[in-house]
Amino acid sequence: MTISTHISSSIRLGARLLTGVVLYCMTMGAQAQTPVFEIEIREHLFYPSEFKIPAGQKVKLIIYNRDATPEEFESYELNREKVIVGNTQGIVFIGPLKPGEYPFFGEFNPKTAQGKVIVE
Amino acid sequence: MTRSSIGAYTRGVQLTFVLTWTLIAASVQADNLLYHNGVGRVYDPYVQPLERELELRTYYQTDDDSLESDILRQRVGFGAAINERVFAELYLTGLKLPGSAMLLESYELESKIQLTEQGEYAADWGLLLELERERSESIAEFATTLLMSRQWGNWVGTLNLGVEYEFGSNIRNEFDTFMSAQWRLRYRESLEPGLEFYADEFTRGIGPVLTGLVRGAENQKWHWEAGLVYPLNHITPDYTYRVLLEYEF
Repeated sequence: MTISTHISSSIRLGARLLTGVVLYCMTMGAQAQTPVFEIEIREHLFYPSEFKIPAGQKVKLIIYNRDATPEEFESYELNREKVIVGNTQGIVFIGPLKPGEYPFFGEFNPKTAQGKVIVE
Repeated sequence: MTRSSIGAYTRGVQLTFVLTWTLIAASVQADNLLYHNGVGRVYDPYVQPLERELELRTYYQTDDDSLESDILRQRVGFGAAINERVFAELYLTGLKLPGSAMLLESYELESKIQLTEQGEYAADWGLLLELERERSESIAEFATTLLMSRQWGNWVGTLNLGVEYEFGSNIRNEFDTFMSAQWRLRYRESLEPGLEFYADEFTRGIGPVLTGLVRGAENQKWHWEAGLVYPLNHITPDYTYRVLLEYEF
């Protein structure tokens, strides 16, 4: 393969990449029906600390950190970690999940900031 | 065009892209480059704001060719999140050849950009930009890598597809492609076994990897990876051992 062929191949691949990303973004409309749940962090606690979501469905969590200090929503069971800077909000998508209980905690304050997602 | 047809077309384009890239990365051949080893790490596409880390990577290779055997490469880095989407890291890489002392081989500046929220779409996307400069020779390279990751139950698949431009007076200016992939079982937080694959202009390698996370006090974490890569062509060293240790704080 010559250098020029290789360069043109790379350019074509780049164009396909952009096409793929753009079209992928076009499918974002499919997320419009995703249920939304809101959680607050206040004084290093989650409110609510437990909440139920439907099984087999993706859910969008909006986490408001009302404290001045950062907190990290963390859960190995949910395979999610998200640092939320103080007085800001973060978005975490979870699921689709099987029925069960999935614990989460705040990594910056693990002794107090604890909760669980109940999937049913 | 309906939403489902757009989705099907998108998946088709993506599959075509990935397959094409894989074929190119696996087919491009060139003259051997002494001491080159394309085994690195497989990057996930995620960035955490406020994250800082120290990183140490060690690569040791053996081969029946004595010129390519008993070579130790170490890479140290410091990185920090610039914002909630961008993470930057500076690396120094050292190379130790048999009978010689460890010498600084190159410098590298790397920036990872998280493009989508984890779990938002069918796959999670990110971008990695790298600028590397050899210390003793006029050789530099700029690389852009697309990072993709997707979870299937307890399994996570991660794919890195990159294109790099090598330039300088001591090298032929050219574009190259490379890829790496990892298939990992989320067994438990401290231990996740998996399989890795690496391919670039010279390297074709595959092998097992173990990864894990150990939590320290407060929000300190130790992330580790240990892998062994076997060759799939005659250029790749017979054995490449790799260990990575990241201290996040």
